[in-house]
Amino acid sequence: MPAEPGAAGEAPRRSPWRSLSIFLAVVGPGLITASVDNDAGGITTYSLAGSQFGTKLLWTLVPITVALIVVQEMSARLGVVTGKGLADLIRENFGVRTTFWMSLALIVANLANTIAEFAGVAASLQIFRVPPWLSVPLVAVGVWFLVLKGSYRVVEKVFLVASLMYAAYPVSLVLAKPDWGEVALAAVTPHFEASGAYVAMLIGLVGTTIAPWMQFYQQAAVVEKGIAVEELRFTRIDVVLGCIVTGVVAYSIVLACAATLHRAGIKVETADQAAMALAPLAGRYASWLFAFGLFNASLFAAAILPLSTAYYVTESFGWESGIDKKWGEARQFYWLFTGMVILGAAVVLLPRLPLVQIMLVSQIVNGILLPFILIFMLRLANDVKLMGPFRNRRWFNAVAWGTSAVMIALTAYLVAAGLRDLLAG
Amino acid sequence: MNDTENARFLYLSSLLGKKVVGADGSLLGRLSDLVVHTGEPYPPVESLVVRSRSGKLQLPWSSVAQMNGEVRLKPEAQPSAPPEAPVPDRVRLAEEILDRQIVDVEGAKLVRVNDLHFLEVKGTLRVAHVDVSLRGLVRRLGWERLVDGAVSLVRPGASYLRVENLLSWKLVQPIESAPGRVRIEVAQRLLATLHPADLAEIMEELDRHQREVLFKRLDVETAAEALEETSPELATELLETVSPEKAADILEEMAPDEAADALAELPSEARRELLDAMERPEAAEVQELLEYSPRSAGGLMTPAVVELRPEATVADALAEIRRRAEDLPFVYEVFVSDAIGTLKGLCTLKDLVLAEAGTPLGKLMRETPATVGTGADLQEVAVAATKYNLLSVPVVDASGALKGMVTVDDILAEVVNAR
Repeated sequence: MPAEPGAAGEAPRRSPWRSLSIFLAVVGPGLITASVDNDAGGITTYSLAGSQFGTKLLWTLVPITVALIVVQEMSARLGVVTGKGLADLIRENFGVRTTFWMSLALIVANLANTIAEFAGVAASLQIFRVPPWLSVPLVAVGVWFLVLKGSYRVVEKVFLVASLMYAAYPVSLVLAKPDWGEVALAAVTPHFEASGAYVAMLIGLVGTTIAPWMQFYQQAAVVEKGIAVEELRFTRIDVVLGCIVTGVVAYSIVLACAATLHRAGIKVETADQAAMALAPLAGRYASWLFAFGLFNASLFAAAILPLSTAYYVTESFGWESGIDKKWGEARQFYWLFTGMVILGAAVVLLPRLPLVQIMLVSQIVNGILLPFILIFMLRLANDVKLMGPFRNRRWFNAVAWGTSAVMIALTAYLVAAGLRDLLAG
Repeated sequence: MNDTENARFLYLSSLLGKKVVGADGSLLGRLSDLVVHTGEPYPPVESLVVRSRSGKLQLPWSSVAQMNGEVRLKPEAQPSAPPEAPVPDRVRLAEEILDRQIVDVEGAKLVRVNDLHFLEVKGTLRVAHVDVSLRGLVRRLGWERLVDGAVSLVRPGASYLRVENLLSWKLVQPIESAPGRVRIEVAQRLLATLHPADLAEIMEELDRHQREVLFKRLDVETAAEALEETSPELATELLETVSPEKAADILEEMAPDEAADALAELPSEARRELLDAMERPEAAEVQELLEYSPRSAGGLMTPAVVELRPEATVADALAEIRRRAEDLPFVYEVFVSDAIGTLKGLCTLKDLVLAEAGTPLGKLMRETPATVGTGADLQEVAVAATKYNLLSVPVVDASGALKGMVTVDDILAEVVNAR
């Protein structure tokens, strides 16, 4: 139900100052989502992509960022125009069956991501010589209390400031003195390898940058902020800025790792090794800087993922939700949140777990789920009854459908390659 | 068929998707929706919507001959195109109610509709209940028999199997359908029975469009009570959705301090317009409160206090309280001030009740334990209330004249919201 355009009559005069103040009031969802996007899985995937494949995957980052902008704009627009979250819209427009399978897939993917966040906690604190059996349970309990009993809004600001640490990557990159001519060439030269490892890494790159949970999260944030249709253009700026930040961070991590780790021939298996990409900037303190950034990102996302999953699932099934409810009133909500924190932490505690690999695999799961979420978003964003004059434009559809098609093709290839290896081995 | 003689219960989910066939057995399409007339307490199904190969078709319910495995139509059935725009007092159940959020008035909360429950008597189908249960979800998934079997195997006495979690249609309030006049009246009466705090919480949980629809359905008094309980941001948002005249009426009904909070968030032009539309005395009170910063004692206080001269008697004081009962949210004490308005002391309600009717307040009054200036911050007000065990803290201006009081419920609300 879109508001009738022009109901207010004459267009209000806007001075530049007023525009700026509206922008500042509306800003947030896009930039915050972008910051959470660079979570443990993200840092790890970018590091692995750079260290294993050098600059060979660099060219994909520009189209990925364009697709990210298109998808995130669509999610913000859906939120602003309908005033509803994505889970609500799916339930109301596609019924119980679709909602059920979608929720199940989302729970699995977000659980995989939560596991990755706790793996990030374990890996980063290992650099400070804290063993996982101590750090992971402590952080799990901490996250649980922080979200349910603490004032999360305050802590969120600390996380956001700490995520400025990503600025270390571009600086480190410049200090590493890469061959800029080669970099520029690699950035525009498409390169494709038909190997399972390359395709898996590509799916992981897309999946970590355009993560399915982000669409739910950002749309909910836009709705919660109560952004009106008239303010949509400011939200668009917010979203595009956030996507560009994500793109730049991804770019510099991949490149920094290519210029340091790949050049040195190091195959990253531990967080300690990934940290060496920061050595040109921080020298022997590189691993501390990396550990600090990874810990912050992991903690931030480990708090957000289980909480937001609990919200989407309970809301779409019509169960009570919210941390201001009592346990008995919103049992499903609390159990989902608690269950995801406990499971996420417990898996990481299994002995001899390759933490870095786990983080990569979770992002591949994201990439596989992404096209399905996109298809629902596309159908909703093209619904005339729902979106009225704000429905998708043609080239938007082209980019989003194209992304879905590419992801499905890549996933199909990955499955086929996996089966082939299985049968051959 | 015996079915048409006996009453039976049916679920919407078991009807949707059924084949609809003509009298000669030719397939017309599948049942995609049922339209009910909501003018009655238990709305009867008036027409059915069929999804056919050539698009959606609508048929009157009277053209249904029988309904078992499939819906068979009478020979004279005439399909027509469904109306484009929503029709007043008609609701398309699958499109507007199923899977949507509705207000459960009895439970005072928002619920999501998993299924609808019909009673069929003599060929008429009426909506009786709304199913919001887990079992309704399971039924929609098509797993009812499987899950029922599994549950009765594990725990035959489980409440899942016994309790029919159905809400009476009369006690729910759909939000997203076009209501006619009858429905609006019923809705107003129904929503007015909710506690304002519950209504406020429901509105906070609804999305922007839905809360606008719900708010417009409230009568002025209920709307004012609900807005007093919501956050000032939401109150502002909702006031902007109704006409300035109605907004002004609602603001007049609200406690002046709450009205000022709601107005403070508005752009100055809109605020001016609403203040002009309000009745003079109410507008002046609110205007004065707006001068203060919202988090200061001046912004938190209510000007609705009982203030009398020392010569007034206990009987006068009680009479004054009775006279102003309507606009006084709380009466804990009566303030006493001199001819130029300087606060001299107060008498608690207990003092008044226990004293002789003819005693002048000047003799009875006690010293004011603490006052705060209009610019005092929340912390100072809270400390004063805690230290002297006050239920309300008098607020005075620089000359010592009484301007209002901050009541303890407003202090608590601020403290809880600040977390």
